[in-house]
Amino acid sequence: MRATEQLRQNLQLACHFYQQQKRHSKERVLRWVQGILLLFIVTLSQTSASIQIYLGQNLANLLGADLVLSQPRALTASQYAELASMAEQIVLTESLTTTLTHNNQWQRATLKAVAEDYPLQGELRSAAFPGGPDSAGSQGPAVGEIWLDSRLLAALGLQIGEQLRIGGQQLNVTRILLHEPDRLMEGHNVEMRALLHRQDLQQFAALDDIIQHRYLVGANAQQIAAIRQWQKTHLPAAQLHHKHGAHPLALFWQRTENFIGLASILLFFMAAIAMQQLSRAQLAQQQFFSAVCLSLGASKQRVLQISLLKWLFGLLLLLPPVLLLSALCHWLALQWLKAHVFAGQELTGSFATLIWQPDIALAAKAVFASAVIFFVFNLPLWLALWQCSVRELIQQQQRSISNAVLFGCALLVLGGVAAHYSDNGLLTAMLLGSMLISIVLLLVLSWLALSLGEKLSQPFSGLLPFALYMMKQRLLSKTTQILGIGLAAFLLLFTLMLLKDLGDNMAAHQRAHDGNLLVTQASAAQMADIQVWAAQHNITIRQHKPFIYAQLSHINGGLLSEVIQKPSDSLASFNRPVRLHWSADMPGNNRLVNGQWWHSTTDNWQQLSVEQEVMTDLGLQLGDKLGLMIAGHYIEFSITASHAYQSGAGAITFWLQMPPAALIHISAPHYSMASLELQPQQFSLLPKLWQQHPSLRMVSLQELTQRFDSSLAMATRLISGFAGLIMLLAGIVMLSSVHAVEAKEQKKNSIILSFGLSKRTCLQLNMIEWLVTGAIAACGAIVATWLAGLLIYQSQFSLTYQPDLSWLLGTLAVIITLVTALGMALSKHSLSGSVRQLLAE
Amino acid sequence: MPLSALSTIALTNVSQSFSHHGHQVRLFQQLSLRIEQGRSYAITGPSGSGKSSLLMLMAGLEQPSAGQVAYLQHGRSMALTQLRHDIGFVFQQFHLLPELTALHNVALPLKLRGEKNAEATASAWLEKVGLGHRLNHKPQQLSGGEQQRAAIARALVFQPKFIFADEPTGNLDSKSAADVADLLFDCCRQHGAALVIVTHSPPLAARAQQVLAFNNGNCALLATPQLEVQDACY
Ligand SMILES: Nc1ncnc2c1ncn2[C@@H]1O[C@H](COP(=O)(O)OP(=O)(O)O)[C@@H](O)[C@H]1O
Ligand SMILES: [Mg+2]
Repeated sequence: MRATEQLRQNLQLACHFYQQQKRHSKERVLRWVQGILLLFIVTLSQTSASIQIYLGQNLANLLGADLVLSQPRALTASQYAELASMAEQIVLTESLTTTLTHNNQWQRATLKAVAEDYPLQGELRSAAFPGGPDSAGSQGPAVGEIWLDSRLLAALGLQIGEQLRIGGQQLNVTRILLHEPDRLMEGHNVEMRALLHRQDLQQFAALDDIIQHRYLVGANAQQIAAIRQWQKTHLPAAQLHHKHGAHPLALFWQRTENFIGLASILLFFMAAIAMQQLSRAQLAQQQFFSAVCLSLGASKQRVLQISLLKWLFGLLLLLPPVLLLSALCHWLALQWLKAHVFAGQELTGSFATLIWQPDIALAAKAVFASAVIFFVFNLPLWLALWQCSVRELIQQQQRSISNAVLFGCALLVLGGVAAHYSDNGLLTAMLLGSMLISIVLLLVLSWLALSLGEKLSQPFSGLLPFALYMMKQRLLSKTTQILGIGLAAFLLLFTLMLLKDLGDNMAAHQRAHDGNLLVTQASAAQMADIQVWAAQHNITIRQHKPFIYAQLSHINGGLLSEVIQKPSDSLASFNRPVRLHWSADMPGNNRLVNGQWWHSTTDNWQQLSVEQEVMTDLGLQLGDKLGLMIAGHYIEFSITASHAYQSGAGAITFWLQMPPAALIHISAPHYSMASLELQPQQFSLLPKLWQQHPSLRMVSLQELTQRFDSSLAMATRLISGFAGLIMLLAGIVMLSSVHAVEAKEQKKNSIILSFGLSKRTCLQLNMIEWLVTGAIAACGAIVATWLAGLLIYQSQFSLTYQPDLSWLLGTLAVIITLVTALGMALSKHSLSGSVRQLLAE
Repeated sequence: MPLSALSTIALTNVSQSFSHHGHQVRLFQQLSLRIEQGRSYAITGPSGSGKSSLLMLMAGLEQPSAGQVAYLQHGRSMALTQLRHDIGFVFQQFHLLPELTALHNVALPLKLRGEKNAEATASAWLEKVGLGHRLNHKPQQLSGGEQQRAAIARALVFQPKFIFADEPTGNLDSKSAADVADLLFDCCRQHGAALVIVTHSPPLAARAQQVLAFNNGNCALLATPQLEVQDACY
């Protein structure tokens, strides 16, 4: 009874205390920091959940079957028979990515070939002319007909009723393809599409293993289970999707969420700095309150309880606006995604759309997790309160917060966030590593600059030496300020630079080393023709490397899908066949990272060299065994080396490489990758080449940069939103750091006034301090950006990093100006000191 | 010394009042007095009677609601901004900057004025106030009396013509208070600075050449105080 009574009293007190303090600017800043982080986390988790729900529904709607089994090669007769015995019905579709040409126009597209039994489930919808009414049919195109989607029709400048030549064959364009019920996205495929009859595809004489065979299976729940079991043992390399499984895009989105989450570590770090500054600022007030309470006979527990309750009040009152805002942001994010990401994929339409539907339970979880984080950030303050005693009132000496505790708490939170979102060891390590480097750099730089500046200017008098001297005396609080601003600047610079340079470098790189036409897949016959064609037209082939397709199915005897659970870029790629290259010696554009490259005449053919990042992503080590399906045969290799890309000798590089001796033991079609240098006018020669070889895959540099530009534009939008958040937080870090020393600053200014100096002197001093702060922070940020650039560019993007000096100097000026202007504006209050205040105290 | 050769702060018919939530608080009215360089003055009176306010007026840091404050040098009228450069303050709470050592606290005004040898001068002054052995101590490591000595050194180091001390001994024990008072009077006399000291202590006030006493007969009547200043020495 007494306990509840006391709790009620405490609640009242806490509420009262909160009401009193809520207008304090410190409390306001604290609310902002917490609010922004909450908003970010809740919105991210809600958006992510919506996408996952959407993908789930999308899967059910776009499978067009109960189960889909796909692989590059056709099933053998016995495999087909086994599958048929477990299924109610099987429908085969074959698809091939190719380039269609018409009147000197060309367009890359995915051809899908079906027979009369298609579709298995759902409706195939088409229109008789562009923009015409859509009609549902139960049959695909007849032999000799082809249906194109409207974008493809436009891209080729074709009309309905015209003829399209593919590989020496004439096909009649009869309808516009609107929707295939089994069009499950593979990867984030935005390829244009065409539908034709299976018989026509056979005329192309394309090799079986570059045609994706998809078996749409009608099956009940038991049959699905049986087929899944069967696939694991008989067709481990095939991809299987079923109605209750995960969408192939689900992993991709998980990864996106993880990346954004990981980037949010930076937000958390800045929040940690802001909160730490605020804790310092709040400490005096809270300690005074506690000491008064203690002197009035309250117990320590009670004082702490009140402080905790007060914090809780603040958080609870923050929730309504934050939840409302995050619901709005969630909605906006979904609108944006609909407009930019899922557009053009015909997934919207009348089918399951991305629905805005806030998930209360998830929001509660996100809020709770954030509350725990804020709690940990606040711990140092409570710890200091716990140690507070009535002595403080008498001695007028405040206990300060131990830096070790502050640092430990921040580290705890950041570690937790990193662990939660991390999925790619290398990228996480590099992101955190570059952050750590920038932190250390900023610390060292501010210490050096202030100490040296102070030492060197000691013999001189004047405002600058004095300002340096004062800053040196307040090294700790100045350093945190510089750290906050510097990190924010670093983040901004890095993201901006990455965007800019990635675009620039990509184009320059391609042009410099690799010609302007990349052949990504040519069969032996096609490559021979290309060589003849190139010789005829005096075109240089810069590089030419052979490969075979291999599908990774097992790691150390375990199924890939069971061994690797964490999503990564590498894993996403390994879900499809990858290129396997052979070479007696280390290719010129590779370097050995680990292990030993085979002797050029080795007989031990079952060995592989794996690209270093793949090793990290999949957690592989030297000596691990990889099981590959090559042309229908299972072969086990052991990893004996790992390599990494190095620039200078062409851009064509492979993730997997084996000794040439292996070729004797493997019978699989050979393909080539090559790069060519065409004169601008020679691009018009391409359509003929494609007409001869529809399955030949080539990309021009222009197309490549176009594709790259569109994804870059998307990334830019995402990142600028993120940069906005960072800027906001940077402002708040500055604000809180100003608040942390406001009382001291004001007193200092009052004292300076009492020496008969003018307000202008104070203003000048303040400006010098901000200029120095801005300069150190900017220098630190720029050097850190440069280091991070070296580190990440090289390993993640295989780019050589060349910083642009004028760009860096420009940014330096911008940062210093911004920081000084903002700092002056924020410290207006601390400049309002007067001698009167000193008298009044 | 001839009157015209000295710096003088002259207050003529000065009144000060504030309006507080609608009603007026009158501190003093029609007050005329002169603060001359080289002399010492004491201001006494109960709390809230307007002593600090008067100090602010004298220093030219606040404007009176009526009357004039003038700064005269060699009989010529000077701008009040000039007066600001010639004043040092000593506070009840010392107000040393906690992150600076005693030496640096005292050197502060010199450094800000861009003077050479700031630290040598400061250290000589600390020697003079008896803190020669504690140059590198932070304020926290000094006793109240020592802090106030450092503050006195800091107020005098740039050789102002006037020292305004607002209850400089209010926070000190009687022994330290006596020492600080001795120091203050001695230093001001040696350097020819005027000393205006606000104090509650009658013996201290009695050491000044002139005493200005705020006589607030009835504390209950604070809303409309009838204050008058008596010039005890005239
Ligand atoms: N700027 C002001 N606005 C309103 N009231 C003021 C102002 N300055 C001083 N006062 C009032 O004048 C009175 C006298 O203050 P002060 O000069 O500090 O007295 P003392 O130093 O004698 O204790 C106080 O009641 C104070 O509230
Ligand atoms: Mg006073």
